[in-house]
Amino acid sequence: MGIVELLVGTMLALLVLAALTATVATGARLLAVAGARGEVEDTAELALETFLFDARRAGWDPGAAGVAPLVVAAPDAVTFAADLDGDRVVDATSEEQTGWVCARAAQRVSRVVGRQSLPIADGVPACGFRYFDATGAAIAVPAAGLDAPGRARVAAVALDVTLAATGLRGTTARTARVALRRPP
Amino acid sequence: MRRRGTRGGTALPAALAALVVATALVAAVTELARVETLLAEQRQRTSSALAAADGCLADVVAAVPAGWDFAPALAGPDGVAGTADDGTLAAPAGCTATARAAPGPAAPARMLATVTGTANGGRRVVDAVVGRAADPGAPALVWLGAAPAPGAVAGTAALDGTDPTALLAAPYASLATPAPAAAVDAWLAAEGAHVSATGGTAPARTAPSPPVAALGARLAALGAGAAGALPPAGTLPGGTARVAGDLAVLAPFTGAGVLFVDGVLDIHAAFDFSGLVITSGPTRVAAGASLSVAGALWAAGGLDVAGTLAVRLQRAAIDDVDARIGLPRLAVVSGVRDLP
Repeated sequence: MGIVELLVGTMLALLVLAALTATVATGARLLAVAGARGEVEDTAELALETFLFDARRAGWDPGAAGVAPLVVAAPDAVTFAADLDGDRVVDATSEEQTGWVCARAAQRVSRVVGRQSLPIADGVPACGFRYFDATGAAIAVPAAGLDAPGRARVAAVALDVTLAATGLRGTTARTARVALRRPP
Repeated sequence: MRRRGTRGGTALPAALAALVVATALVAAVTELARVETLLAEQRQRTSSALAAADGCLADVVAAVPAGWDFAPALAGPDGVAGTADDGTLAAPAGCTATARAAPGPAAPARMLATVTGTANGGRRVVDAVVGRAADPGAPALVWLGAAPAPGAVAGTAALDGTDPTALLAAPYASLATPAPAAAVDAWLAAEGAHVSATGGTAPARTAPSPPVAALGARLAALGAGAAGALPPAGTLPGGTARVAGDLAVLAPFTGAGVLFVDGVLDIHAAFDFSGLVITSGPTRVAAGASLSVAGALWAAGGLDVAGTLAVRLQRAAIDDVDARIGLPRLAVVSGVRDLP
């Protein structure tokens, strides 16, 4: 075998190896991106499902004690109340009082059950709550939140959340709007 | 002689190694896709089941008889408390529903209902607090005990579910019957110009029959007087009258309050009323006669209008009757929670 043959053979081998390496790298990137996308979508869905669960039961009041569904109604936080055990008292240290907090500085959404804070999602560039009256009109909410008469006007609560994941160009945005139930 | 096959090379091992890695990657991506698909399917199932449970709850609550409390519903299909079917609620196919008494004080009237809905292979359970609506009655201008018969309005029926003195309150429906909404819509379409409703009137709705027997007993217990003793239409407060049997109106009549006719109301003259007219039998308006009600008409025995029927909402008159005798109300869901 001459030197020319050897050089040509080496070049061909290098080309094949480069193509294989590129293919494997692309596959690895695809796996990473697909995994990240799946995770962020799952997290968004989990956040919404949990929010729906909490908001739907807000104001649960089998004992007719006059439980108000909303304890806090602010642009970045909402707290729901429910008399889950029917003892006509809402225990603020238990899951009878469940809050949601959008910590914009930390880019985190947390669920606060009683006094225990549970992070629902990190990497949240945008998050907030909106409130609507019985006609469906949006209620203007001061930064400090609605007062008691204002909270009594709320007929529906919406959660807007945007999630981003490392390595992904696009974000995942979700909105859930839940009507509150109140005694007639 | 040259020996073949002994020369070392790296291309083949490298290619094989890359193939192995690529295969592992493909397998990982496939597994990821499979898991995500499974998760999506599970979410779809639970969402479908939750929607089914919510729909079932709406159907079950809509079928609860109008009334004052929930004792009849808690007594089960046989209507007798203390039997095996206590707490069983009639539910549509694909779901089950049970009821139990709510904890705490008896007032306001309420009960707890548990509904299990299944759909698309999923299953969800919903607990609900069921109370009584704020508005008395259906609430509708004309509340019938059964689907109206074809041609029931050969004359004219004009319905106005708005009250200019209570603009912020929700309008009344034109009609409420136990018949499905589609059947009522078909009936209204068939009646054509004979039945008209003003623009603000809410659409016809489905509701259980008015509880006329219980209302009659209630009025009897309250010592309701004769129809002739009622004050004239437009008077507030009005009176309370109960007629045991049929009532034929052969001369112009005016009244205010509540008039309960435990039989047929047969009108052959001008009948002007403010408040609530309740009849257990058919309500007939002969040709040339008129029935004008500022309030509502609860006709459990149906309508036969050859003359003129006009019903317009007057909340003050209905509220007056409600304060006087306590009117029945529909069941509504006032709270719900999802169970694991």
